[in-house]
Amino acid sequence: MIRRTRFYVENAALILTGALLFALCANLAPNASAQPSSGSGGRGQAAPNSSHDRWLHVRVTNPNSNEESVRVNVPLELAEKILPTINQHGLHGGKVTFDQADCHGVDLRALLDAVRTSKDGEFVTVQNKDSDVRVAKQNGYLLVHVFEKNRPKKSQVEVKVPMKVVDALFSAGKDELDLVAALHALSSQGDTELVSVKDEENTVRVWLDSKNVTD
Amino acid sequence: MLLAKLALGFCGTIVLAGTYTFHEGVLRVDEDHSDGRHVHVWVPAAIVPMALHVIPRHHFEHAAAEARPWLPVFRALTKELEKYPEAELVEVRDANQHVRIRTHNGKLLIDVTEPGENVHVVCPLVMMEDVARELEAQSPAA
Repeated sequence: MIRRTRFYVENAALILTGALLFALCANLAPNASAQPSSGSGGRGQAAPNSSHDRWLHVRVTNPNSNEESVRVNVPLELAEKILPTINQHGLHGGKVTFDQADCHGVDLRALLDAVRTSKDGEFVTVQNKDSDVRVAKQNGYLLVHVFEKNRPKKSQVEVKVPMKVVDALFSAGKDELDLVAALHALSSQGDTELVSVKDEENTVRVWLDSKNVTD
Repeated sequence: MLLAKLALGFCGTIVLAGTYTFHEGVLRVDEDHSDGRHVHVWVPAAIVPMALHVIPRHHFEHAAAEARPWLPVFRALTKELEKYPEAELVEVRDANQHVRIRTHNGKLLIDVTEPGENVHVVCPLVMMEDVARELEAQSPAA
């Protein structure tokens, strides 16, 4: 009788141990089967993003060739965390130092203050036979529009930056641009097209949205 | 019965060791050349940071010193990328070449395709963070 009970207990212990091992393996091993890198999980596979995820997209395409393109998608939060860790080439603590000498004597901060305090409207309009340049402030955005007419390759540049971002950019000390603060300000914006450049060779788009893939 | 116990103990140990070794995934480097050369390296990700401990210090002192300014960037990048397990980060395409950098299932995938040569790298992000931490700890100025 005792012998039989012992036999049952030992069998039960073996089965239980086997089951525990199996369960442990099942929990630990989900990563062991590495996916082949080519082909699977292609573009258009959007992961569910939390609402605070904001992505900065850069897309460069060649209108004459569908085969050439560059697509870069960067989460703003990632850029905010990475920039302060870079201390190279004038970049330190998420701020970049610029030389006033490069500004040809223009006091950028005073200029920005003037733009900020003024009402919406057009500040600069230059029209000549080569190009049209327009700088304006409208609905809390700083707009820059450049259209070059007489180049061999006509080009059109449009920049639309929220004033909050410009303010944040210049919120650091003198001769410094606070990139991290600018990115943080940018992350609170809705879907926005920031830069658009079109010429006969390339089309460049920089925009912000909540998707982790380009269209 | 004794034999069964021994077999179970042995198999259990093997399975546990194998499972632990592979639980972080596999670092894979696959190179396929049109001339018929193929290079395939598969390394369990869990052993890479451990391997750094056993490499003689002088072997990577120089490399670690060179890389030191970028190690915090590397570590922050891998740590942040773990928050984006499915993301298309960079894609460059022209008539002949195609380069893709993306994350998939918590791994960084780098695919380079060009005439005559395909390179695919799969690197678990957890492993990259561990390696960055190890390198930071072992670099000369640390």
